[in-house]
Amino acid sequence: MRERTHKQDMNGILQWFHDCFTDPAILSAIKVTFQMAVCSCLISSLLGIVFGLLLERFNFPGKRLLIRINRTLMGMPPVVAGLLVYMLLMRRGPLGSLGWLFTIKGMVAAQALIITPIMTGMVHQHAVSKAPEIREFCLTMGAGRWQTIWTILKEMRHDIYFCIVTAFGRSISEVGSVMLVGGNIKGRTRTMTTAISLLKSQGIFTEGIALGMILLVMAFFIQWLCDLLQKEEVEHENN
Amino acid sequence: MRITDLSKTEGDFTLQIDRMELAPGKIHGLVGHNGSGKTILLKCIMGILTPDRGTIDYEGLTPQDITLMSQRPYLLHASVYDNLVYPLKVRGQRPDEKEMDYLLERVGLLAQKNQYARSLSSGERQKLSFLRAMVFGPKFVMMDETLSNMDPDSEAVILDLIRQTQDERPITWLIVNHQLEKKKELCDVMHRMEKGRYCGITEG
Repeated sequence: MRERTHKQDMNGILQWFHDCFTDPAILSAIKVTFQMAVCSCLISSLLGIVFGLLLERFNFPGKRLLIRINRTLMGMPPVVAGLLVYMLLMRRGPLGSLGWLFTIKGMVAAQALIITPIMTGMVHQHAVSKAPEIREFCLTMGAGRWQTIWTILKEMRHDIYFCIVTAFGRSISEVGSVMLVGGNIKGRTRTMTTAISLLKSQGIFTEGIALGMILLVMAFFIQWLCDLLQKEEVEHENN
Repeated sequence: MRITDLSKTEGDFTLQIDRMELAPGKIHGLVGHNGSGKTILLKCIMGILTPDRGTIDYEGLTPQDITLMSQRPYLLHASVYDNLVYPLKVRGQRPDEKEMDYLLERVGLLAQKNQYARSLSSGERQKLSFLRAMVFGPKFVMMDETLSNMDPDSEAVILDLIRQTQDERPITWLIVNHQLEKKKELCDVMHRMEKGRYCGITEG
């Protein structure tokens, strides 16, 4: 009798998983989350690497102030970023003609606004401690300007991977700005996090937990990737 | 190379060189106590630091002809071989692997050819740094305490390579080493610095 109960329980859980992962709404939320996270992460990484390296390389009046402003933006509440992008993209806003409000493009813009300062700050921090030494080395080897920049990027690759993975993690877990700019439209702009938020408000916990589990698995893989990149570095150092 | 009226301030320290001449094709030794400004001078010559005042007449040498081996050589996050061929790659030259193997064998690093360069001991790092600086055929080489961390055998190999280079194709050397006075026979000219000032040629 007890054995049959276990079997029934197991079948029930498997059925529940099957239902969750074949539900078009959940699949769409996963797809939208990935599209948004990958695009915003790529844009922020590109901008963050360029800004971070430029901030390290050049001295100019107001540089310290700029670094402080960037550090402040690193802690900017996502809802504030969402509100700013919303005001820019709304029909009567300065960028209203783009028609990006309640689209993935708008969500990507809001995410990029949040993540770019984080990327810039992290890349700048790593560059301050490593780039001068690499630059000196390149000079003694007779490398040109672009060869030096390429060598700096290559030598800092592990730090940069780590920054990108952190930015991606930040992107997939964001709710506030995505909700404001995307509007949480089913099948179009609903992400996993905004779906969880909605499901909770409707009292539907099972699908919310399924989405939460998928997010946790993704967070686990991101963490694992970070460890792998750092481990590779440490192993090389110890070889 | 002719250095005239050169001045460089770094924090509380000021380097002042009224006139210093480095005759081409000679091995110049540079001695002086810690903090006498030897490294700052080398960095000014290399172009890493910009002098506040004064001129350095390179007499036709370009930045690609000059190299500096620093006290703590920077090694790329790559293999020993990749580190060795880096200066050739930046010059668009294709490395001859047999020649590279021969050079590595000369300093006893052939077995570590594919090893991660940052896992080498400090003496091995210095040897790799020496080879890497020599591999592209520079015309002016500066060594900042490169010989300091080497065991006597390795040091003998490097000194041999320096002498061989001078026999085959004389280039200009500026060697900084706190034990250089014990190796007078290596240098053609010996320069002295004290408290940031150049004191001239002491002995040859």
